[in-house]
Formats: sequence, C-alpha cells, structure tokens
Amino acid sequence: MSRLLRSIVILVAVLLSHNANAAEVNVYAAASLTDVMKEIAANYEKESTDKIVFNFGASSLLARQIIERAPADIFFSADEAKMDDLQKAGMIASETRRDLLSNSLVIVVPNDSQLTITSPDELLTKVQRIAIANPRAVPAGIYTKQYLSGLGLWDKLESKMVPTENVRAALAAVESGNVDAGFVYKTDANISKKVKIAFSVPVEKGPKIRYPIAIVKETKNKGAAEDFLRYLESAKARTVFERYGFIVKF
Amino acid sequence: MKLEIRELSLRLEQFTLELDVDLQNARTGIFGPSGSGKTSLLETIAGLRKPETARIRLDNCLFEDTEQAYSLPVRLRRIGYVPQDDSLFPHLSVRRNLLYGTNGKSKHDTFSFDHVIGFLKIGSLLARDVRSLSRGENQRIVIARALLSAPRLLLLDEPLTALDASLKETILQQLRSLHHEFGIPMLYVTHDPVEANDICEEILILESGRLLSRGNPRELLG
Amino acid sequence: MSLTQAEWQIIGFTLAACALSTLVILPFGLAVAWPLARYRWPGKLLVETLVTLPLVLPPVATGLLLLKFFSRRGLLGQFLHKQLGIDVVFTWRAVVVAAAVMSFPLLVRSVRVGFQSVNQRFEHIARTLGAGDARVFFTVTLPLASRGIVAGVVLAFARAVGEFGATIVVAGNIPGKTTTLSLEIFETVQLGHDASAYRLLIVSVIIAFGAVWLSEALMKKSAL
Repeated sequence: MSRLLRSIVILVAVLLSHNANAAEVNVYAAASLTDVMKEIAANYEKESTDKIVFNFGASSLLARQIIERAPADIFFSADEAKMDDLQKAGMIASETRRDLLSNSLVIVVPNDSQLTITSPDELLTKVQRIAIANPRAVPAGIYTKQYLSGLGLWDKLESKMVPTENVRAALAAVESGNVDAGFVYKTDANISKKVKIAFSVPVEKGPKIRYPIAIVKETKNKGAAEDFLRYLESAKARTVFERYGFIVKF
Repeated sequence: MKLEIRELSLRLEQFTLELDVDLQNARTGIFGPSGSGKTSLLETIAGLRKPETARIRLDNCLFEDTEQAYSLPVRLRRIGYVPQDDSLFPHLSVRRNLLYGTNGKSKHDTFSFDHVIGFLKIGSLLARDVRSLSRGENQRIVIARALLSAPRLLLLDEPLTALDASLKETILQQLRSLHHEFGIPMLYVTHDPVEANDICEEILILESGRLLSRGNPRELLG
Repeated sequence: MSLTQAEWQIIGFTLAACALSTLVILPFGLAVAWPLARYRWPGKLLVETLVTLPLVLPPVATGLLLLKFFSRRGLLGQFLHKQLGIDVVFTWRAVVVAAAVMSFPLLVRSVRVGFQSVNQRFEHIARTLGAGDARVFFTVTLPLASRGIVAGVVLAFARAVGEFGATIVVAGNIPGKTTTLSLEIFETVQLGHDASAYRLLIVSVIIAFGAVWLSEALMKKSAL
C-alpha cells in the first residue's frame, strides 16, 4: 500500500514538474506564414518541451491587437511598417528585432483559367476583377500598390480591385473563381493547388518585402520565446522556409 | 323561393346540428335560445361553414352536395348576410362599404343605389365615419350593403339586438316590406318572440341543433 | 459634425441597397406569411424553422452559404455568370442579397402577426358580397393587416442597414462598390480613424432608432 502511494506521489511530481517547465509561446504571425510556421513549430515541439500557439492574420490586425495588450510573445510581421509602429509604441524588445525573411509577389489565376499575363499592364485589358489584400492596411496589399504605382498602373487598375482581409483571403478569392486574378506572395501560390502563377514579379523590380520578427516586451515567457527565435534562425528552420519559397535573409 | 336543406349534419361544440327541411316562404324565422345552432345554420347556408353532410339547394341552384363532394364557392351563392356582430369594413367609408357588393356588376343587375338608400333612410349617413355610427345606423347600413349586392336570399342573424324599442319598430317595418319592395326572401334568426311574430310567416324552432317544431309563429309562440 | 463626401456616398449606397432589398423581399414575405398565419399544413414547422434560420445562424455562416450558392461556380451563380454574364459575389448585388436574406425573417414575423390580427369575419362578409380570393386579399385583408406589414417593412429595412457578417463574406468591402455603413465603421475602427467611426456610428444609431421607434408605434396601434 505504501509502495503504491509512493509511486503515485512520484508520478504526480513528475507530471507537475513537467508542466511547470513546459511553456506556451504565443506567436502572432502574418497570414502568409501560416503553413510554413506550422510545420516549423511541429518540428520544434519534437525537440522542446515548449508548445507554440499561433495567431495568424493580417499583420495590421495583429499589430493592433498587440497594442491593445493581446498576450503575444513574438510578433512576426510581413512588413517593417507594422513592426515600426510597435517599436514606436514601445511594445517590442528592440534588441531582439531582426529581419528574418523576404518574399516575392506573383499574380495568380484560377487553375482552370486560360488567362496568360506576360506583363502587369495586360491586367488593364484582360481581367475584370483582381483580388488583393486590403491595400490600406495589409502588407501584401501595400506592397502590391507600391509595385503597381511604381509602374504607373495603380490608378487605372484601382476600380478592378477587390480588397480582402488578408493575403490568404485574396488567395481564396482566386481559388473560388469569383475573381479573375489576384496578387499574393509566391509562397502562398506554392501551397495552393487551386491556383497557378500567371506572372512572377522579378525580385529586383518588385517592392522590398521584409519580414521582421521581434519579441514582445511584456512577454511572460521570455526564455521560451528566445529559444524559439533562435530555432527560427537555425539551419533546420532555414531549410523549411526555403522549401516553401521564402527568401531567407540571415 | 324554395330553399331545400336536406340531410344537414354539422358537428358543433356541444351537439350536432341536424336538419332536413324545405322552406318556401318569403319570410322564414329561425327561432331558439342562444347556442341552439341558429348562427351555424346561417353560416352553412352562406357557405362559410362546411357541414359533414348536406344537400342544399336554392331554387334551381345547387349550393352544397357532400355526397358528390360539390360546394359552390361563397362568392357565387349571391346570399346577403347580416351577421350579429359589427361587420362594416372599418377601413372603408360608408359609401365604399355600401358599394362593395356592386363591384363590376352592371346597373340592372343591382338595385338602384338611391332606391335602397331611400328605403332604409340612410342618406344622411353617407359621409359619416364608420366608427362613429350608432348600432342602429350600423345595422341599417349593413342591410343596405347586402341589398345592394342584389342577393337571391337575405340571411339576418338577430339584427335588432341592442336596439331600443322605437328603433326596432322602425327597422322591423322596413324589413317587413323588404320583400314587397325588392322581391328578396329572407331567413330571420331571433330569440325574441315579438320580432318573430311581427316579421315571419313561418318559423322553425330549434333547440340543441334539432328542429323542435315548425309552423305559424302566432300559434307556436302565442 | 459634418460628413465627408465619401461618407455620404456610403450612406446613400447603404440606404439605396437596403430599400431595394426590402422591396424585393416584400412580395415573398407576404406570400410566406399568409399560409403561416392562416393555415395548418404538413411541413409547416419546417418552413417556419427555415425562415427563422437567418435570424439565429451566425451571420457569417449565412454569408458562407450565400457565397457557395452565388459564386461563379455555385449552383445559381454559375447560371447567372455563364448565361447572363451577371456576377453577384463582390458586387452591389451581393449586398442586396445579403441584406434581403438577413432581414427576411423579421419581415415575415411582423406580417404574420398583421395577418393574424385581421378578423376573418370581414373576409367572410366580403365573400358573401361576391368578392373572389384575390379581391378579398387585396381589398380587405391587406388593408386591415397594413399596420403589421408596414412595421415589418420598417424593421426589415433597419435590419438590412445594420447587416455586416453576411455582407462582408459575400460582397467583400470594396470601396465605392460594396462598402456599406457597417462595413465602413468596421474598417475605420480597424485603421484607427476614430473620428470617422464615431460620425458613422451616430448615423447608424439615428437610422436604427427611428426605424425601431416607428415599428413599435405601429405595432402598438395594431394591437388595439
């Protein structure tokens, strides 16, 4: 009887201590990172006792949530502007900020579309509706607007634009066939089986896309967050990022 | 006129109304205590109630034959109905109410408007609001409205309740001479023996849905 | 407080789209409320449930159903796109559709009460005076049910103006094309443009307040 009791006490102690060490790292990441980050986190959790919990969305929406004190530990944004906003508001630990990734823009069309686009100005005549992430706030949309404005095409194409909540929603709109084409990241096009790339914006001609990452100042899991951040810069993570089509900066 | 009400069976709350009669007088009364089925009988003749079984014929027009699953629609029966409760359309003017049954009918299919108005002495009420009418005025207009639709038969359900004696007498007089003036027979429901005596040539006495007796009102009611 | 031109356009568009959606659902609302008010028939409970559904389903869920149905590959959308060259999703038509579907249950409820409040004695009398079903309905039933019907129309309109969840899914938030009052409030809040958000909020409150007030006043009279 006392041996049974002792075993139970040891078991409970082990379980409790296991839970005491395991932390939950809340990562608020741009929508375009959804698939790649889930895979990387799954790998990470095999090696670590920590758990990674994600909140994916438009970087603009996430930044606003963090400003409203949402419990994020890490912010992984799709553009520098949103990270700058948080930095100005004193919400991030600046010393932990770094540019991790880059990406490129593509024009996608539904799989069954006959459309061919050899240059962006063909959009003026060949399509009726173009999905893009909301150019007023979401990085993917802002990059697109930047790019098209640079070519002098934005004003003429604006009436064709169907703005969406985030870049994945733009992708979904193209997948559903309710729009003729859409601007998304190359990495988004890669994971979708229902769209094909009609035009790739050459990286040199395209907007400077930067994915900065940083630890949120008010994090309660600083150690765990730092561990994960380090992992994201490791070779293992790099392989996965590149497989998805991201351009790794470090 | 000849109104055949054969093998009528109508299930009501407390009892079943059963009747098998031929009516031939110009002014027939249906007499009985309240709840004896008088109103239901009128409604059935008008087509507003469906009996379990019946064969109802007015002159040579078949109204109802349950055996052949035949029922003439209400609007084709050309029956004037003066119910017990207020029935003037509250959303229409007095004039519109009166003319409702003349819609689309040609001039000689109906009685002259002025004739009916004059007969029932309601000329002064034409401009009045329906809601402002007294019961007596109300009833006269309802009767006029029914008349104006040129019915083959007039059904009146206790039309004089809640009226004072002198008004009752006035309207009774008008009703008495209605057949003479317009040639329309009537079925007159009442529980007042004075009215029955005054107006009806023949009465049917109903109780709990059954015909108790039938005959001259003076003899039956004394 | 004065509104910008863009804000006026949004308000104008919202009012126009909602007026259209209310107009469109009116005959259907009457047609559905009538048998619900007057008759008992097999399947009545099913119809009642279906009609009430948009009232209790999460609006985005309803929006999703509409999206699937009207998309270019959807059941009806396919026909419209291929045969008539008409697109619904991401256009003003989707705004009208979303508003119509979401406000329909409220219309039916009010109209049903309106019909139920009509004393059938008047319909009977009208028949004895020679009126056929159609004439009875239009000259007696409808006028007597009018308070309930108008209340239903007003309520449906207000609901349409306040519609958001289904609209954003099936129409999107396209400036100048599908942006409604609710969508714009959402956007301005997202972007932190609080002043604009508050202006539009006040407009929304005025519209909603006026509509509900009017609807309640009419229903009270009807109950008398």
